Amino acid sequence: MQGFAGFLTYRLVRMLIALWSVVTVVFVVMRLSGDPVPLLLPPDAPIAEMERLRSEMGLDRPIYVQYGVFIGQVIKGDFGRSIHFRASAMSVVWERVPATLELAFASFLCAIVVAIPAGILSAIRRGSTYDTIVMGVALVGQAAPTFYIGIMLILTCSLWLGLFPTSGRGDWRHLVLPAVTLGAFAMASIARITRSAVLEILRADFIRTARAKGLPEFWTIAKHTMRNAAIPIITIVGLQLGNLLGGAVVTETIFSWPGIGRLAIQSIYSRDYPIVQSCVFMTAAMFVVLNFLVDVAYGILDPRIRR
Amino acid sequence: MAAAEGLLVRVAGAQTATKNTLVVGQSSDISKLDPHLSTTVNDIAVTFNLYDNLLSRHHDGKLYASAATEWKLVNPTTWQFKLRPGLKFHNGDPLTSADVKFSFERTYDPKAKVNVMSVLNTIDRIETPDPLTVTIVTKKPDPLLAARTAFYAGQIMPKAYFERVGADEFNAKPIGSGPVRFVSWVKDDRLVLDANKDYWGGKIDVDQIVFRPVPELSARIAALLKGEVDLITKIPPDQMDRVAKAPNTKIEGVLYGGLYCLSVASQKPPLDSKPFRQAMSLAIDREAIVKELWRGQGAVPNSFVVKGDNHYDPSLPPLPYDPNRAKQLIKEANYKGEELVIETGVGFTVMDREMGEVIVSMWKDVGINAKLELLEYSVYLQKIREKSFKGLRWTDPTSAYNDPDGMMWRHLAPGGPNAYWFRNPRFDELGNAARFSVDEKLRDEAYKEMARLELEYLPIIPILQPMELYGLQKHVDWKPYANQMMEFRRFNLKLKRA
Repeated sequence: MQGFAGFLTYRLVRMLIALWSVVTVVFVVMRLSGDPVPLLLPPDAPIAEMERLRSEMGLDRPIYVQYGVFIGQVIKGDFGRSIHFRASAMSVVWERVPATLELAFASFLCAIVVAIPAGILSAIRRGSTYDTIVMGVALVGQAAPTFYIGIMLILTCSLWLGLFPTSGRGDWRHLVLPAVTLGAFAMASIARITRSAVLEILRADFIRTARAKGLPEFWTIAKHTMRNAAIPIITIVGLQLGNLLGGAVVTETIFSWPGIGRLAIQSIYSRDYPIVQSCVFMTAAMFVVLNFLVDVAYGILDPRIRR
Repeated sequence: MAAAEGLLVRVAGAQTATKNTLVVGQSSDISKLDPHLSTTVNDIAVTFNLYDNLLSRHHDGKLYASAATEWKLVNPTTWQFKLRPGLKFHNGDPLTSADVKFSFERTYDPKAKVNVMSVLNTIDRIETPDPLTVTIVTKKPDPLLAARTAFYAGQIMPKAYFERVGADEFNAKPIGSGPVRFVSWVKDDRLVLDANKDYWGGKIDVDQIVFRPVPELSARIAALLKGEVDLITKIPPDQMDRVAKAPNTKIEGVLYGGLYCLSVASQKPPLDSKPFRQAMSLAIDREAIVKELWRGQGAVPNSFVVKGDNHYDPSLPPLPYDPNRAKQLIKEANYKGEELVIETGVGFTVMDREMGEVIVSMWKDVGINAKLELLEYSVYLQKIREKSFKGLRWTDPTSAYNDPDGMMWRHLAPGGPNAYWFRNPRFDELGNAARFSVDEKLRDEAYKEMARLELEYLPIIPILQPMELYGLQKHVDWKPYANQMMEFRRFNLKLKRA
């Protein structure tokens, strides 16, 4: 297990470096991009009032001092106070985490439950009408913009058919449309990757051998094919889950879903640095942890990678 | 889409919101509940219902008694307000003159770190001879003091509760004396307010008001059509038919208490030339903009004074369209074809980009070479502060206090947000005199002369007074306000129940 522990330590260090870089880049970009003070005061506010607010927020200090203070606080887990909400930034972000996770996992579930079987079937029946239809739908799912899918779903499923509420967060019925909207892209790409990964393996010699020795087709697929096709599938699944967690800005906006993505985009507009930094950190952390888990899964599935 | 609307009708008919709750869908969430921290419309829509002001401006644009029952000008710098007896905050504490004094002083106390300092800072001191009397002494005569108390910063906060819990806790669990009390707020999801049964103006016609942010326009309209929300804001004119023609919903419009304008933000040639600026204005066919782009939902202004405000001069004609005269003036101005830049946000005001495009093409017709540059909102705000626009900027000044002082003078006085280069001794003299005079006749004459001076020099070119459109369930009887406030009271909110 020495090799595996080393592998884990190496991945962990990389994770920390990735997080530090993300936080630094966001810090710099946010400060380059504009001043939050005019957004907080009426347009005719006197200059003196702006200066007061600026020094109160520490924005009058040199940027390297601000950075030093910022990193010092981040190490302690303190991302500062939200300019907009006048509350601890991390606490504002934490309030949104459940909504974001709920939506991400619902979409994720939608995506894998539909996409992986669809992709496998497509591969097995390559060239059939079924394959053509599934891949066509997947192409549309990948190409159609999220806001279009979302608005169409609201119009059809909610307004015409009256099946689901138009927006907001509540019981499971509120979850369906945003989850499908958000999951559409992931569903499509997972289905396509699954199909090609399975196809690749189906051409391998050992599958021919398995079939030649008379193994039932089901076990050929389930045991030999899937285990070998799993690496690309897990990669795309992990990446897509990351996207679902961090990339829900449009979906959350269309469906008034109180998640991190919408908070982040609003905070960018209002130049609420502490919130943006916390959101990005939170999303990056989830992404990095996921990648780490995917790496670990590789290690378990394919011992060659550990070395 | 016709078939779709037909189907939609069927579904909408089947569902209506609970009639004891009013659900309001705004375009974005509120940010703060402490009334002195915020100047945004969405926040004020809520705080004007959580708290009372001394006076309040109703749908008709006039000032009415609210927490104060009477008010008078004792001498040019002294105002006296009599409080309504028996007022109570939501926690049962009485509302007295001490709370008013505390709240008002907080708004201009630099140590209080609030964001509404420029509203009540004409006050020199506040005296409270007894619990029901508030005497306000201003530094100089201030004709608008009464109006200021009805504006943001005028919300009355409970002194004892605030001092006990501190600013952060107050913002999280606010207490006021208004017709609704705070229940809960899940950010970006919903704000729940319960009716205050003991409100002096009577309990409002619903048990609960819920504010929901629905940022996406089509989702907001869908939520209204489906009956999930009862009132929505910011419907652009091209969408109004969807709401107006559905069986259960209706449109209510009100002329905005402000103007959409092009501000001449630079003195670079040819913008330094008076005839050229007049030509720019004459070349704009405002009637066409109202009719085609706004589907009739707007009015052509006649000056930089808002129709509906004090001292509006009805004798002035709507701003004229005269391309031939414009061409002549351009010749006089020796225009050499320099390119003008109009800077605008996108969707910052309804149809800002579209109107910019139309104006660019109208100018092209008379030989003015212009282009539109689109800015992100915060960049735009930064440019306002730095006054760094390249040529012209799109702007939507509103007249605070329904008075030309809050419009013409606030924006064009030295240092004002639209005072880029314009200085005229007569204009300044009149603006100052009217600001510090409680003689309404003098003020009336001053503003009428200033309006004419503005039209001559055109430091800012008024384009349109838009109609702001709200969507409502048909059973909700409520009229929107020109100043974008949302006041829900017993007297103005009625729900028709089957």
